[in-house]
Amino acid sequence: MLYFAHSRFMLKKLPKLCLSSFIFLFRLGIICAQPTGQSLVTAAAHSLVQDVLSRAGSPSALAVSFQNASQMPPDLQEAAQSAIYDDLRKAGVHVVKPESALAELKIVFSEDWQSDVWIAIIQQGPSRQLVMKKVARTERSTAPRSPVLTLRRSSVWQQEEPILDFYLDSHNLVVLEPTEVALYTEESGQWRQRYTLAINHVQVWPRDLRGRLHVNGMQMTVSLPGTLCSGNVSPPSLDCRASDDPWPVEHGQMIAFYSAHRNFFNGILAGPNAGASVIPFFSAATWPSGDQRQWLFSGTDGRTRLYQRDLSVPAAVLGGLGSNLAVIHSGCGSGWQVVGSAPTDSVHPDTLQALEVAGREMQPVSAAVDLAGPVSAMWTSGKNSETVNAVMQSPATGKYEAIVLTVSCN
Amino acid sequence: MAGAAQASSRPRYGGTARIVLHDRVSNLDPTAEEDHPAARDRLASLLFETLALVDDQGRLRPGLASSWSLDESKRVWQFHLRLARFHDGSQVTAVDVAASLSRAGIPWKCTPSDRQTVTVEAASPAPHVPETLAMEKFAIVKRQPDGTMLGTGPYKLNEWQPGERALLVENEDHWDGRAYPDAIEVQMGASLRERLLERQLGPYAAAELTLDQLRSLDPASQGVMVSHPADLLVVLFLQADNAVAGKPGKKPVDPRVREALANSLDRATISNALLQRKSAPATGLLPQWLTGYEFLLPNLSDRANARKLAANAGPGAPSAPLALAYDFSDPIAKLVAERIGVDAGQVGITVRAYGDAHVNTKTGQASVTADAVLLRLPLRSLEPAVALAALAGDLGLDPEHSPASLNAARPEELFEVERKMLENFRVIPVAHVSQAVWLNGSTHNWQQLPNGVWGLNQLWVEGARSSVP
Repeated sequence: MLYFAHSRFMLKKLPKLCLSSFIFLFRLGIICAQPTGQSLVTAAAHSLVQDVLSRAGSPSALAVSFQNASQMPPDLQEAAQSAIYDDLRKAGVHVVKPESALAELKIVFSEDWQSDVWIAIIQQGPSRQLVMKKVARTERSTAPRSPVLTLRRSSVWQQEEPILDFYLDSHNLVVLEPTEVALYTEESGQWRQRYTLAINHVQVWPRDLRGRLHVNGMQMTVSLPGTLCSGNVSPPSLDCRASDDPWPVEHGQMIAFYSAHRNFFNGILAGPNAGASVIPFFSAATWPSGDQRQWLFSGTDGRTRLYQRDLSVPAAVLGGLGSNLAVIHSGCGSGWQVVGSAPTDSVHPDTLQALEVAGREMQPVSAAVDLAGPVSAMWTSGKNSETVNAVMQSPATGKYEAIVLTVSCN
Repeated sequence: MAGAAQASSRPRYGGTARIVLHDRVSNLDPTAEEDHPAARDRLASLLFETLALVDDQGRLRPGLASSWSLDESKRVWQFHLRLARFHDGSQVTAVDVAASLSRAGIPWKCTPSDRQTVTVEAASPAPHVPETLAMEKFAIVKRQPDGTMLGTGPYKLNEWQPGERALLVENEDHWDGRAYPDAIEVQMGASLRERLLERQLGPYAAAELTLDQLRSLDPASQGVMVSHPADLLVVLFLQADNAVAGKPGKKPVDPRVREALANSLDRATISNALLQRKSAPATGLLPQWLTGYEFLLPNLSDRANARKLAANAGPGAPSAPLALAYDFSDPIAKLVAERIGVDAGQVGITVRAYGDAHVNTKTGQASVTADAVLLRLPLRSLEPAVALAALAGDLGLDPEHSPASLNAARPEELFEVERKMLENFRVIPVAHVSQAVWLNGSTHNWQQLPNGVWGLNQLWVEGARSSVP
């Protein structure tokens, strides 16, 4: 029995072996069916009642009382009480007044910092017994907002291992991890892993490891700090070597050199902008504006610089943006938007928003999308830059979640 | 998208993070007795790493071990070590790890299986081995013949002035990549008076705050992080009932007096007034937020019963002053000890509270003449069973309690162990107390676990130039 240390409860390393638990419903924007609060409550009630009857010797008549010492909402509490009564009835136990009961059962809905704790106190004469059950909490939903454009997110995939980048089309999902590239194909609405291709590298990866995956037809290129891998999705192959070649930031439009031992681009550009240099940056975006181009760089000094026409002098230095930004070609509004993250610490939940340049300022054009965790990667994707791929780590589960972002017109 | 003018979410490299610790640490050895073990662990965790880690959600994460496995008997664990190096460049081997764990007093048999695998074998099913090994006490230390200690942590010790200052510099060869700051400078016991008056941390990235210092800041607007009420403020009677009596000041105190004292305490006032609601009244050793069951333990606040118990304790017993020692460097301990004296006086028990320098260590407790000590004990684990076992060890209770805690498979079993630990009133819980840290606006990714433990592995500070190697 092999366990990996990615879960408090040491879950088996499922994603590689049991992919069927993740139902791919990308077009519907659904990652998988979560147990509802009601079903969790029913299962927990059943388990609690079984244990209570086992301890108490299945008394035929019980007096039952409840106490809520937690923040469980009243509707769930009511559902829990009903489920407990149902299970007692099904077990042939009569719920009676205390004076005619063989035993008294008090159920307290308590909680710890991670879950609800249901405590059953069974009093039979002078003897008192306890049964305790931990019950997972259900997540709360957030209220919708009304934006100008709509930034939509679709969950594609979740896994325990970090995701640095991913590629998605209707048949293939390619996931770049720190130690391998995993190839999945769609079968009956589920992703099934076909191959994993090891990434061989000599140097220690830096903290805040980043990587770029580029798939063109069946060919793929992986850029990692100080390492370049090339290979094929089909037939699967990957060959890695030490390299300081520049990374493709944006398909064909921006290529830049990445620091081999850090988490940022060193500011020296290649490709269409070869010879130009800017300050070191975490992320960048470029898009056409009429017959000219605009560029946005999220600098390592915490400031975002907007360049218009050329890269000689910034047209504006902006604050209020985080270090993850990527351009998206939606056809809505001005046609191009920048998806930007919020200036929060990378250990806190992030917020994404679509923005447009108005003069020399960035204006929000969509409502902010609150994520459950911090964004660890965000890159422009799609043949025509029509999507942004982002990766978020959920603080609740610790899992990395691949997300596709699109902007739609209202 | 409002935000600070200079803000960013990706970490930046460089700079020195200057941190003020309230307590003075005299020894960095994670296994040594230390007056302020929580402060020592904060420093030690930057130098010495454990096989497993616990994150801020209480999940186990790989540390020096990249994975682990458990056999079907649930007694034998195998920890597979990652390729990592000590600060002198030597590779971490299973022999080093087994030697380190054995020296730290691991309660199970620990042997190297091969160069990179360590086997931990228990006599009976041991479900909490990884969580236990995540405690800083079990950090992996390689001891040199000259007594120096080598770790594998993200920082190396560059300068060390016990009780005063430590300068830690980044470990470029760390297995998880180098840390973001170039260095962390720790000042111990530095006065924050001026900083608090100005409400500006100035050159410091972070400062540990006592609850009385917290009073002058607005936690909501001034970068203060307050943990769950995790530390246990507890009265410990030093002499067990079965101990040999006769030594002056070390006679076991009459159990009825102990129970009377437990019943005399106005825990709500202590928590709400003295500890400014940054605490919770304690009826158990583990806090309610951790277990969900603390409320089941008897709420001992019955002064009428306390008077009766004290009166029945025998002629002279209630009137003989009880000496209660507290840590003289902890202003909160002084306040609470004095309040205990007031409460006890209400039921006819005289308590003489006095400050002492070494009440927190067993060696220190052996030399004090007090009947009881007021201790502030850290919550060492977010796994309740491991935390309770550690508290049993810290309190020097019956040695059976620790294994019983670690073997508890269900919450109700753990509850029963805790109830037994409290039943003879040798230990009187008073409050669960929060920890607070004050952060500069230029300090990022500072994480504080619910029990107050700092997570600094993603820490970075603004103001540093990004060096491109």
